[in-house]
Amino acid sequence: MLSKIMKPGLTRRTFLQSSAAAAAASSLPRLAHAQNNVIRIGFLAPLTGAVAAWGKPGLDGCQIWAERVNAAGGIQLSDGAYQVEFVAYDNEYDPAKARTGATKLIREDGVSFIMMLGGDTWPGVQPVADKTGMLFSTLLPSDLSPDTTTLIAPAEVHPIYNVTGVEWLAENRPELKTAVMCAQDDALGLPSVATYLAAFEAAGIEMQDEPLLFDPATTDFAPVVTRLMSSNPDIVCLDTCYSDYVHPICEQLFQQGYQGQIISCTADFYDQIIAKTSKEFMEGFLFQFPDFDDPALNSDQVNFEDPNGFFAEFNKRYPGQWGAVSWEYASVMDLWKAAAEKAGSAEPDAVIAAMKEGGTGKHAFGDARWWGTELFGIDNALVGDWPVVAIENGKATIKEFRSIPAWYDKHGDLLVKHMKAYDQMWDQR
Amino acid sequence: MLELLAQTGLNAVYAASYISLIAVGLVLIFGVMGVINFAHGELYMAGAYTVVLMYTDFQVPFFLAVAMGLIFVGCLGLAMERALFRPLRDNPLGGLVASIGFLMILQAVAAMGFGVRMEHIAPVTQAVIEFSERVRLPVARLYVIIAAVVLLSALWIFLKKTRFGWALRAAAQDPEAAALQGISIKQTARIAMFIGAGLAGIAGALTAPLVSVNPHMGHSVIITAFIVIIVGGVGSLEGAVVASVAYAIIHTFMTTFYDGVIADIVGLSLMLLVLIVKPTGLFGSADRA
Repeated sequence: MLSKIMKPGLTRRTFLQSSAAAAAASSLPRLAHAQNNVIRIGFLAPLTGAVAAWGKPGLDGCQIWAERVNAAGGIQLSDGAYQVEFVAYDNEYDPAKARTGATKLIREDGVSFIMMLGGDTWPGVQPVADKTGMLFSTLLPSDLSPDTTTLIAPAEVHPIYNVTGVEWLAENRPELKTAVMCAQDDALGLPSVATYLAAFEAAGIEMQDEPLLFDPATTDFAPVVTRLMSSNPDIVCLDTCYSDYVHPICEQLFQQGYQGQIISCTADFYDQIIAKTSKEFMEGFLFQFPDFDDPALNSDQVNFEDPNGFFAEFNKRYPGQWGAVSWEYASVMDLWKAAAEKAGSAEPDAVIAAMKEGGTGKHAFGDARWWGTELFGIDNALVGDWPVVAIENGKATIKEFRSIPAWYDKHGDLLVKHMKAYDQMWDQR
Repeated sequence: MLELLAQTGLNAVYAASYISLIAVGLVLIFGVMGVINFAHGELYMAGAYTVVLMYTDFQVPFFLAVAMGLIFVGCLGLAMERALFRPLRDNPLGGLVASIGFLMILQAVAAMGFGVRMEHIAPVTQAVIEFSERVRLPVARLYVIIAAVVLLSALWIFLKKTRFGWALRAAAQDPEAAALQGISIKQTARIAMFIGAGLAGIAGALTAPLVSVNPHMGHSVIITAFIVIIVGGVGSLEGAVVASVAYAIIHTFMTTFYDGVIADIVGLSLMLLVLIVKPTGLFGSADRA
């Protein structure tokens, strides 16, 4: 039977020899890495599906980061310089696929570090992390718990930074007194709901209704928007809705005649929202993720090399694809590279020890500290300043950098209260 | 409160329109061919991508792009009938399994051709009919409502008043008896596939500027369509329309007055209730009709 499917000239002996060679090669990835002086980094995020907007642009940003680093001599470890290479696995935001991907990246590809979006996919990966001791990063610190000792959240403290937008709004638009909110009912939406509720309460803004939760499979947002507008709110909050929801919700708000303030965690591809609504409608739309051509990012406090050049290169290669995460995974790599070079090693234990030394770190938006015990049970989230961004004349503009720890020091009890109410504390999840 | 009820009512009419276009197509294919077409959601997706390609990329006028969506997806249905369903006609599960495979192929083709991100489609019109300050109907949604009324009325007339329609109904009721009367089963299958797929295609094409167009957009509509045809009675066109209206009203009002998650639970509970009380559905009979 075997002979029937073999190509002419391919003998059984050759076939077996080739198979044995392939098996041997696949079982020795670390040897291959050492021989080639290449450090492999795993990229385990959704590259397809509804959440792809928070995966694929990040991988694209990492490729630019890798080219820049490799051109500058690579990563300098104690035994020499290493080129860096990303190995991607599309987890489709599915926990089972994420687990398969993590196993494959570690066993077959021999990666030294794995970056994830996190959220619903982390529970699938955690057993692999526990078993192998691999260092993982997540964009969602709500994945952290005292058990996740090799998981770090060094880029963003989603959703805690959303408090900065509400705080800025309360100070700069004091006439806005009431708000409503909608969110998809999932691991990204619910902690963000709790955070916005705490931020609105701290700012003295009254919630007119319970947050309106919708199924992530929702396609028609007219009923959701009708409900949101029914109480005539000053502010409509879109929580951490995926871009597939933010766009149609904004379009519905526009078509149903809403004229108030909108606040959202993200506004990916906001130029398309403007095209579907109007520049006037989107004026003042408040969110948390800047374009990296913003002049405010050239200040000394920012620890991201040449943000304007990075943004220009990204848009040249991937026109119209810039989104919230385009720079984030690259900024995680900045932190990892600095720690690996400090430790002189790419081994997970050495890197995380170097990274957290002194309890502080250089976050993309400024110096920050490792934090999180009260909310996550472990100090593995890097927290500092975060930008508040408004759309002005059709363009995202940083209005101000605000301190997340400063807000938490004043209102942390409110955040804990609402997180507990939504079962989002680390010991409730 | 009156304005809220009125706006919610308009939202429900729109939802009933596009759901019924999809569900009636699915029922027609099942009724005539006995195939549960799991790829029906992807036919809807194919209609939406036709608009992306023709209207957005090639600047073809919107309604021409929609017509192309109907024809293209109708032809896709013909290809499915010829390549998948006809060879597997004697295999009870063959068509179902083949349609699952085909939906994966369509998703992969869409992802390779257009990428995985949602597509941006410029609005066809931003005009809105204002009944009052808080009761508004976007004209783009009105197009979907009008299309559903016109197309479903035309289908009803076709099935009730034309010889082809009679043949289709006869083939659906008893294929063997219809064949003995000289009705071509192959031809009726082709007609059913073209119309059923075309209805999904035009639903996707018309709603493309109103929803997130991506390769996985068919998932949620096929689930809704299955709920609707089970409630209405598998094989009953009238049942599909009535159930679409009932489901849209219940789901829209529940979303507006409670929340979307509860609305989904109520929709599924409705299906379970019908299955328990009347397993054949509201308009179904023990035999395929």
